[in-house]
Amino acid sequence: MLKVDHASVHFEADDGRIVHALDRVSLDIPDNGFVVALGASGCGKSTLLNAIAGFLPLSDGVITLNGKSVVGPGADRGVVFQKDTLLPWKNVIDNVALGLKFAGIPKLEQHRRSAELLKLVGLADFANAFPYELSGGMRQRVGIARALATEPDILLMDEPFGALDSLTREQMQELLVSVWKKTGKRVFFITHSVEEALFLGTQVIVMSPRPGRIVARFDLDFVNRFAESNDAREIKASPEFTNLREEIRALLHGAHDIRSAAE
Amino acid sequence: MSEVLHAAAVSADASRIAPKTVRMKSFGVGSKPTLLISLATAAALIALWWGITELAVVPRLFLPTPGEVLTQFNIVLREGYAGAFLGEHLSASLFRIVLAAVIAISLGIPLGLLMGLNRWAKGILDTPIEFYWPLPPLSYLPLMIIWLGIGETSKITLLVLAMFAPICLSAQAGVRSLPIERVNAARSLGASRFRLFLNIVLPTALPEILTGIRIALGVGWSTLVAAELIASNRGIGYMIMSASQFLATDVVFVGIAIIAACAFAFGAAVRLFERALVPWKGKS
Repeated sequence: MLKVDHASVHFEADDGRIVHALDRVSLDIPDNGFVVALGASGCGKSTLLNAIAGFLPLSDGVITLNGKSVVGPGADRGVVFQKDTLLPWKNVIDNVALGLKFAGIPKLEQHRRSAELLKLVGLADFANAFPYELSGGMRQRVGIARALATEPDILLMDEPFGALDSLTREQMQELLVSVWKKTGKRVFFITHSVEEALFLGTQVIVMSPRPGRIVARFDLDFVNRFAESNDAREIKASPEFTNLREEIRALLHGAHDIRSAAE
Repeated sequence: MSEVLHAAAVSADASRIAPKTVRMKSFGVGSKPTLLISLATAAALIALWWGITELAVVPRLFLPTPGEVLTQFNIVLREGYAGAFLGEHLSASLFRIVLAAVIAISLGIPLGLLMGLNRWAKGILDTPIEFYWPLPPLSYLPLMIIWLGIGETSKITLLVLAMFAPICLSAQAGVRSLPIERVNAARSLGASRFRLFLNIVLPTALPEILTGIRIALGVGWSTLVAAELIASNRGIGYMIMSASQFLATDVVFVGIAIIAACAFAFGAAVRLFERALVPWKGKS
């Protein structure tokens, strides 16, 4: 269980004003949970992810993973970034093996495990390719395999498909669902696409800026339904899905309007 | 159906006659080849040189003919010049450049990396480097002689000083080019500080460092003649300087050609290193 308990993050802006990026946010991510944070830019969703990853200390509150308090980054939390962060001087398999190398695992074992993960993300034939030879979608798949290699307790994904074209993006969503089902990892996923959030999450939290906080939570079942039926288009076209999508859109626009009116 | 047939007919037609290919116009030089233009320019310059000397526009003393320079090169090659064989002049110069480069690299890379990573190192080292780096080496050459004498030490120190700054500054720039996401990614994969430095910072800075070494070698060759002004009896720079005292313009030309060839070879060697060590450069 990953537990975020009344977490607050305050920054000092360049002009000296205090920005409340995150205001007393609480969140539980259960085993096998797929929690998606949704919101406009500036709502604190990336701040929340950076705090869970340990890149950013909290001003107040605590984050615990399996009862242990989170201080600093660690291999028990795998991170997939929006911008691909593969090392250009290493080929695909050595990029996947990076965390294993840091853990001091022998080279042969590194490659055995990395090859398995490459198979999982459908890149078994690209083990010896270099990142600059891959498309954006393929690089993100390497990024997912790399984050999984150290067998983390949770996968943190910061708008990982934000830079991809819509067709690739949908393929990646479906791949991610199958990876999630096969590995049984917890996932904390950030997006600003309502459709992506609804399709992927077992729980969607809608966040709102200034101060960054959670304004709504939805427990969902679309992702499990997809895992059974394997028909993404039918799910995304179902009235249940589209109705909820419009409801959340209205909620996001409402939050935006309130903020604009306050300024 | 008829459209499909029509399309097939068109493509069959196109395969008989080579199709006219088009491309969007690029701005600037882009990747258009320039080698032939460069070679033609070189040939034209030599022809111009030959023409000027042939028409005797300039006295032979000031501008020897290409043939004379070639003959002189053969003479210098066989008999040496100014009391030493050409090989001795060349090896004396190469020894100085290579030794100075080794010292400048082994000081410049660690100090540059340190300056990129540590506030105190940057604050302290910035002052002397920013002060001396823009100075022409000839201006502090007298100090080198006064402080270090007229032996090899002063020559090599002069070269080291000239070559150190570009390497140090490029290593610093290399560290600064490190994206924070790359650091965070490595830390979330469990990288220790030492691992972070060895496996992330160092390879990230490598392309910049190699560029710095290439610039430093260029600076080194251009400082060499100044360094060899100091009481030498060996060296290509010394050969040129002593030839100038006897108005032996053809020997000066030979010396210049040798330095140009060496500088070119060093540059090409570093470029080969770059291709082998940083094949991803400019591709990601």
